[in-house]
Amino acid sequence: MLEIKQLEFAYAAEAASTMQFNLGVAAGEILSLIGPSGSGKSTLLNLIAGFLEPSAGQILLDGIAIETSSIASRPVSIVFQQHNLFPHLDLYTNVALGVDPSLRLSREQADAVATALDQLGLSDLQRRKPGELSGGQRQRVALARVLVRKRRILLLDEAFAALGPALRAELIEVVKKLVHDNNMAALLVSHQPRDALLASARTAFICAGKIVALEQTADLLDKSQLPQVRDYLGSV
Amino acid sequence: MVRLNSRAVAAGLVLALLALIVLAPIAGLLNLSGIPGYEPGDLRFWQSAYIRRVLFFSLWQALLSMLCSVLPAILVARAFALQGDFPLRGLLLRLFALPLVVPAVVAVMGVVSVYGSGGWISLGRSLYGINGILLAHVFFNLPLAVRLLLPQWQTIPPHHWQLGEQLSMNAWQRWRFLEWPALREALPGVMLLVFMLCLTSFAVVLTLGGGPKSTTLEVAIYQSLRFDFDPAQAVVLALLQLSICTLVAIVTLRLQRLPEVEIALDSVSTPIAVPQKRLNTLLILATGIFVGMPLLSMLIDALGGPLWQVIGTPRLWRSLVTTLFIGLFAALFSVGAGWLLLQYSASLSLAGKTSKAHLVDLAGSIVYVVPPLVIGSGLFVLLSPHVDVFTWVYPIVIAINAVMGLPFVIRSLGPALRQNHARYHYLCQSLALRGWNRFRYLEWPLLRRPLGLALALVAALAMGDLGVIALFGTPHSATLPLLIYQQLGAYMIPHATVTALLLLVLSLTVFWGLERVIGGKTGA
Amino acid sequence: MYKGLRFFGGTLLALLLSFAAQAATPTLVVYTYDSFTSEWGPGPQVKTAFEAQCACSLELVGLEDGVSMLNRLKLEGSNTRADLLLGIDTSLTAEARASGLFEAHRITMQKSSLPQPWQDDLFLPYDYGYFAFVYNKERLDNPPTSLRQLVTDEEGPTILIQDPRTSTPGLGLLLWIKKVFGDESDQAWARLSKRIVTVSKGWSEAYGLFLKGEADMVLSYTTSPAYHLIAEQDARFAAARFSEGHYQQIEVAGLVRSSQQKQLARDFLEFMLSDGFQSIIPTTNWMYPATLARTELPADFGKLIDPSPALLLSDELVASKRKSWVDDWLEVMSR
Repeated sequence: MLEIKQLEFAYAAEAASTMQFNLGVAAGEILSLIGPSGSGKSTLLNLIAGFLEPSAGQILLDGIAIETSSIASRPVSIVFQQHNLFPHLDLYTNVALGVDPSLRLSREQADAVATALDQLGLSDLQRRKPGELSGGQRQRVALARVLVRKRRILLLDEAFAALGPALRAELIEVVKKLVHDNNMAALLVSHQPRDALLASARTAFICAGKIVALEQTADLLDKSQLPQVRDYLGSV
Repeated sequence: MVRLNSRAVAAGLVLALLALIVLAPIAGLLNLSGIPGYEPGDLRFWQSAYIRRVLFFSLWQALLSMLCSVLPAILVARAFALQGDFPLRGLLLRLFALPLVVPAVVAVMGVVSVYGSGGWISLGRSLYGINGILLAHVFFNLPLAVRLLLPQWQTIPPHHWQLGEQLSMNAWQRWRFLEWPALREALPGVMLLVFMLCLTSFAVVLTLGGGPKSTTLEVAIYQSLRFDFDPAQAVVLALLQLSICTLVAIVTLRLQRLPEVEIALDSVSTPIAVPQKRLNTLLILATGIFVGMPLLSMLIDALGGPLWQVIGTPRLWRSLVTTLFIGLFAALFSVGAGWLLLQYSASLSLAGKTSKAHLVDLAGSIVYVVPPLVIGSGLFVLLSPHVDVFTWVYPIVIAINAVMGLPFVIRSLGPALRQNHARYHYLCQSLALRGWNRFRYLEWPLLRRPLGLALALVAALAMGDLGVIALFGTPHSATLPLLIYQQLGAYMIPHATVTALLLLVLSLTVFWGLERVIGGKTGA
Repeated sequence: MYKGLRFFGGTLLALLLSFAAQAATPTLVVYTYDSFTSEWGPGPQVKTAFEAQCACSLELVGLEDGVSMLNRLKLEGSNTRADLLLGIDTSLTAEARASGLFEAHRITMQKSSLPQPWQDDLFLPYDYGYFAFVYNKERLDNPPTSLRQLVTDEEGPTILIQDPRTSTPGLGLLLWIKKVFGDESDQAWARLSKRIVTVSKGWSEAYGLFLKGEADMVLSYTTSPAYHLIAEQDARFAAARFSEGHYQQIEVAGLVRSSQQKQLARDFLEFMLSDGFQSIIPTTNWMYPATLARTELPADFGKLIDPSPALLLSDELVASKRKSWVDDWLEVMSR
């Protein structure tokens, strides 16, 4: 459903180096991206979201090219590791912004926000500010916003990196349900191979701006013979 | 908590010193009944309609000037922030440092050159009145406010800009959700500073005001102390001004909101697509022209004057060196004192005692409104029985200028220092990273830019000071501003404009130098 | 090592000798105003001339203006270093007298070019001037010929004046109008105010604005055109002669009671009245020297207007009434 075709991005810094990505993500699938720092995982997400412009290639959603669309019109939602929320606004408003930035919500939209908060277990907290919440709760709010936006593509840029293992596992389950129920195509960037195991059937390994391997998660993590992968994973 | 206590002690010492420098002279003046020929005036002057009128006018013109300076400054700073890097950006920001340096009397001439009857954009006689006052005040304070507000845009996390794009926020929404919250910490302080500057403005109001209808409290204080020789009345008026400012400060600083969550990595945050490019460019251009015109007219006047003759006089160079000396030392002491105060204030903030933190900031800032004339005269009274005041001129001038520079230090260094402290204090404690090492490895690299700005601001201010140095007669003309004033008073107006140009060049160089050397090479 | 010691010893000796030398030469400290001590003012020449004859060191301390000087003296009281005060004018002498800080000079003036005989035992005049409205001949064809005309002519020229609260010329105009109009001063000011472009803090601001063309006339001195004539070879400026006469400003010097160098100070006062000092005054202070005759002035001074009769209010009257007169003025001007 989501296809990245020969997507290229040239580094300004290093002349000879161009990143190139080719992959596809099916509807309802979470594809994990792992690899060393600086390899281009976040760059790929930024390209899909539109924060960066590719030098060549295409991004297709259901066959329609979106790489020339404006950021706002792309069917993308992104969750960062931090700074997803506006600290001076309460949770309800933070989520409502996902529906309409003018905050003028119709009856149905308001209900949708309430439902989303409810689904993520945040109804009691809706009048609180992000500063009063734990890291896990904050990421839930971000996910609630994703829920109300109903965009087809979900990008998670090390969204759970700051959370403990149990919490991470819990939120990954939430994401899986989200993605499944809404038929989204999701990309999850993480430094934890365990996240890939929990979230994805397939995982891609990105190194030096290229997708070096794209396999079943278990195969990649346990059986890959590629030196880069072995170096990265170390002794598991 | 040993750490908190030592900061508290340091800050306490600074505050005590401030109180000494400011309050002791006041007490000294009040104690003057022993002087022959002194008769206490009628202290029930607040029943006088004159004083009430003066008070009202002072506050009103200060408020109006502040609004006319700060509100546009927000838009201009925003324009600068959103435009990212463009040619002449650095130059324009340096230009904005100049109005601070120019002695008021020279600036008035510049404003008149541009807007007077013979000027480029003639307002004729309507210049002399509230129009002239506003023009001059905006000329002085808009650039300053822009420089103090601009860094706030750097505190907006890059992810917020990205989210803003994705959530399809328009410009107004971006302002409401991203930019305004980032300003909320710094803005009240900047407003207060500009208000104080306009309230205590003397030569501008008196000369461009058109007549006695435009009298401020400073003039009344000046009159009491100099012409009437009624120190008690002068002191009471000074205290009146001080208490009003304190009230205003308390109200303003209440509006100050610290960011709820500590944000922003140290990366430079630049927004993505900027739809209002043309409008912003226009705004920047217009501001550049507005600030540049009086400066340009000063330049033109100076170039038409006896340039080489003035440059050739050795006295000019002696004055230049003295000016430099006073400026740099005042900057050093001011930033040093400010640093200690701000460290304490930051630790209070971290401990959640925000109102106490605000009080410390307030104490550091509010001393600005005590007229140097009062401080100077009081110091005379206190010191002359014990010491030859003339040998102590430079230390006294440096000390008073350092005190006058404190509010600038607090505004420019305060927010960054507080954020830095909040982010790294616990880490430092766990690593036992203290004192010089902490400064060297943590605070210096991260706070260099605002430190540079603070030093540059105070140096510029002190170098352009006329009020303080004029009080303390020296056997030889000591500083460039004093030299300018002497030349003006001796029919040598062309010479004065040349000297003023040299002062501007010196200050610009020092400002740029300090920012570059201390602040590092990144763009503003 | 010995070389270093010798060098050090030599310097030390030199220092000691210089201290001894300084201790031998007495220093006379004179408080005066800034423009006096500046390098284009009378100060440097006065210093050279006096030190040549006195075997002493003359220290001129520049303090903003006459008012500051007096105030400084009052604040310092008997702890002051000053031996002489030079540069207050007759509007301040009563106050100065009342402070009790001055002592009788006990000097008789041999000659004087003042229009009226000098009768003050505490203060001696060194120069004087007259206030006048200065204008640019190319811009203004018919200047008013009397103060009354300036005040009453609705179509008259625009003027720049100074604030009597902060400036001596400003106060001078106030007293001038008081002398000419008496009880009708308030009405005079009311009528004049329509033509006042602005009231500036000091003389320099007003004069500077005038030179920029902001108004037709500026309150200054009859001798102002002399500066332009002599120093700039510019003949465009002139002072308007008023038929009622011009208000006079006489600048004086006084001996400070607490001085330790009274004999030297009196020597200076004698010197001040002598030709050696007086001849310096015209082209450095741009005022009329107190003891030189008109014929002994530079030629261009002859082109200046004749300001007689010289108007002056008694210093006692000024001292007692100044505050209330200024308050009245404020009242009128603030309407």
